[in-house]
Amino acid sequence: MAPGGYFGRALVVDAGSGAAHALPLPEAVLRAYIGGVGLGTWLLHRLAPEGADPLAPAAPLAFVFSPLVGTPLTTSAKFAVLAKSPLTGMLTDSLASSGFAIAGKLTGHDAIVVTGACDRPAALLVDGSGARLEDAADLWGLTAADATRRLRERLGRGWKVAAIGPAGERGVRYATISHDGRHAGRGGLGAVLGAKRVKAVAVRAATKVAPADPRAVLAAARDLRARSFGPATAKYREAGTLANLLAFNAIATLPARNFQEASFAEAPRLAAEDLSRMRQVARHGCASCTIGCEHIYAAPGNRAVRVEYENVFALGPLCGVSDPDAVLAASARCDELGLDTISAGGTIAWAMECAERGLIDAPWLRFGDAAALLRAIDQIGAREGIGDLLAEGSRRAAGRVGRGSLAFAPQVKGLELPGYEPRTMQAMALGLAVNARGADHNRSGAYEADLSGDHDRLAGGPAHAAAAVETEDRAAVMDSLILCKFLRGVFADPFGEWAALLSAVTGWRADGAELRRAGRRIVLAKRLFNLREGWRPQDDWLPERLLTEPVGLASGRTAALTPERLRAMIDAYYALRGLDGQGLPGQADLEDLLLPGPAPALE
Amino acid sequence: MPSAAGIVLAGGRSSRMGTPKAALEWHGSTLLRRTVGILSRATGGPVVVVRAPGQALPALPPQTEVVDDPREGKGPVQGLAAGLAALAERADVAFVSSTDLPFLHPAFVRRVLRAVADGADVGLPVARGYPQPLAAAYRTTLAALAGRLVAQGRLRPAFLFDECEVARLDEAALRADPVVAALDPGLESVVNVNDPAGYAAARARPAPEVTIQLFGPMAGAAGRAQASRGPRAARAATVAGAAAAAGIELAGHVVAAVNGDQITRDGETPLATGDTVFFLAADAGG
Repeated sequence: MAPGGYFGRALVVDAGSGAAHALPLPEAVLRAYIGGVGLGTWLLHRLAPEGADPLAPAAPLAFVFSPLVGTPLTTSAKFAVLAKSPLTGMLTDSLASSGFAIAGKLTGHDAIVVTGACDRPAALLVDGSGARLEDAADLWGLTAADATRRLRERLGRGWKVAAIGPAGERGVRYATISHDGRHAGRGGLGAVLGAKRVKAVAVRAATKVAPADPRAVLAAARDLRARSFGPATAKYREAGTLANLLAFNAIATLPARNFQEASFAEAPRLAAEDLSRMRQVARHGCASCTIGCEHIYAAPGNRAVRVEYENVFALGPLCGVSDPDAVLAASARCDELGLDTISAGGTIAWAMECAERGLIDAPWLRFGDAAALLRAIDQIGAREGIGDLLAEGSRRAAGRVGRGSLAFAPQVKGLELPGYEPRTMQAMALGLAVNARGADHNRSGAYEADLSGDHDRLAGGPAHAAAAVETEDRAAVMDSLILCKFLRGVFADPFGEWAALLSAVTGWRADGAELRRAGRRIVLAKRLFNLREGWRPQDDWLPERLLTEPVGLASGRTAALTPERLRAMIDAYYALRGLDGQGLPGQADLEDLLLPGPAPALE
Repeated sequence: MPSAAGIVLAGGRSSRMGTPKAALEWHGSTLLRRTVGILSRATGGPVVVVRAPGQALPALPPQTEVVDDPREGKGPVQGLAAGLAALAERADVAFVSSTDLPFLHPAFVRRVLRAVADGADVGLPVARGYPQPLAAAYRTTLAALAGRLVAQGRLRPAFLFDECEVARLDEAALRADPVVAALDPGLESVVNVNDPAGYAAARARPAPEVTIQLFGPMAGAAGRAQASRGPRAARAATVAGAAAAAGIELAGHVVAAVNGDQITRDGETPLATGDTVFFLAADAGG
């Protein structure tokens, strides 16, 4: 019998044949990897053929739930999607949230894994009667929202849908999977599903799962709910993540014009402080969430768009665009096409710089040109004109353009950088360099250290490495339980409190030390998957621009991150993780991972 | 630019003041804490406090280094020798200050440090009628010379200046720096407080005029008028003072950045005329 909160099995569906089977999940694996991103990482080790092309039928894509899903614990209605990324060639793990998580888990599975590929567009349906594929030719070409609407009309009540947009169908390497307007956004998961010709996955709850100690879970839920209304979540509740923009601009951590600058003179035009009063039309929350971080703004064309800092940063300052109408329209268009806004903005910003340097033949593509931004997004979604090149992401595109353009491609491991300037946030610089997913702000929260006041954010060193390890481990556990990271500030003893929640749900007697080990294990397992798929030590690095071009602060100081300083921080990070000088784990750690097959090694 | 650091000579006897000057309060902080903070901000490097053997000091930021004078009462050159020696491996130049300069401005410090960057061994301001050896910049390689002078009993700074290259910065040279001219036109950086009357006069002066700006939830707090979101002028000598002027609490989820530079939760971080203080949410997830 599975522990509380689990079914103890994953459903593995072959989209080619329609066959499905249950994969038992041993309790030892569940306890070691918890769920969500952790369990998904184990599943990829178990099910992904070594070296498979991410867009090949054999490459699996896993929707993974977690023990906390379905409980009344605030922010727990989240699911993880994992696959080998077509953008990075390494593991990617993205989260989305709300009803799909609950209904998906209550199909009776801790994960739904899709392998194979259909001959023609299909929708995968999973409920109490198992899995089946239905023709979805009529949905092909629709936006994810329209496809979802039509599929739900066809299927009736109770179905929750995750779908791809046109970008996923066309293999844009940073296409998303979206559910109810929220995106599993990073790393091109939409392209993986599109390559399988699966337009949508629909799930319907069919059973229940009880926690081991319902009274304890209810008490914890009440406590957590009360804390979720406090000052730790005020930013998300009152202003949304866009509140970062003007603050980051003031402290020179807002990347602009493809990381040529760390602040943007026209940032006030895009600031939440004023924009929200003029544009905000609603505030929403996910299912089971009491924070309500989603700030919905009116976009041109009677469209409503969820506004997040990363959308606005990437489609605004990073491309030199300050017209709020244009930035909101661009964000809405990315949502319709199913594009990761960070990678779209980063790749377009790189192309704008290439165009200005005369490296590509697109004279219309200029920093600050809103029409050019919108045109580029449409071309990427359609893979037309220069959009076909930009659909590959900045690293691949730079590989084709050459002429030194890789030096300013804003990416790590192929994943475009988020809106945290590494030269003025040097703990974050390390986190971006070493994280398994690539340049990512959700798997490494090292910016917390930079903004804590406890470290010199302009002079990275050993203390920054320790902070990067700590925040990465915390993120790994939160992404596996799963709890929303916007809740993290309410926990005084994070690992201990998370262990108590997990114990109440599962019946295990987990403690904080166990969860710390789980976080470390999950981070290591991701690193090992990447190693298996061709990771090399030089992949843990930052773009040349960030290591050779200093940026100025309003105070008059200059912030520089040298290769030597980054190398020293990476070495310190490896040492703290017990890795050798090349970033490889030792034998003792490998034995703790419960992974199938021999340990991969550097060739 | 050479790497810079700060030295605060706190070991004086404060005989005219009648009480240790280091611990005297000025607009929400102590004179020593303020001087250490100004030097830290201006140099971006380590700050060493040189005290008399066993001297009690007020609370200081955790990264502050404290070294003892070998012997009490030997005057500033001994303190200079001790401070420069402590920094010799880590900085090329140090701004050396007494502990009793409540109006010391970072722009003044940076201007004086530049004199050594330009090639001199000492950058010596000559302001408000006097040379100011305790508001001056010294190359850290002078540690050995200063130590030798102490051993010889030659305890006045003038003996040091006789044996090295000194760039004397008169008032015109100091004010030629546009930032100094704008923010410290009276060169009050060198005004010290030596006795109770001087201290009373300093305390009677208002705190520095600064600008405050709030971001995120602070800016959008219910009932906060658009005009009060900032930027707006206030009088505050510390970050805590600025927070109080803005009506917010510098606590777990709120941090400050002075002039967009380092992030701090330390309310005693000193402010100087012309500073801008940003208050933002520490929760930066996005």
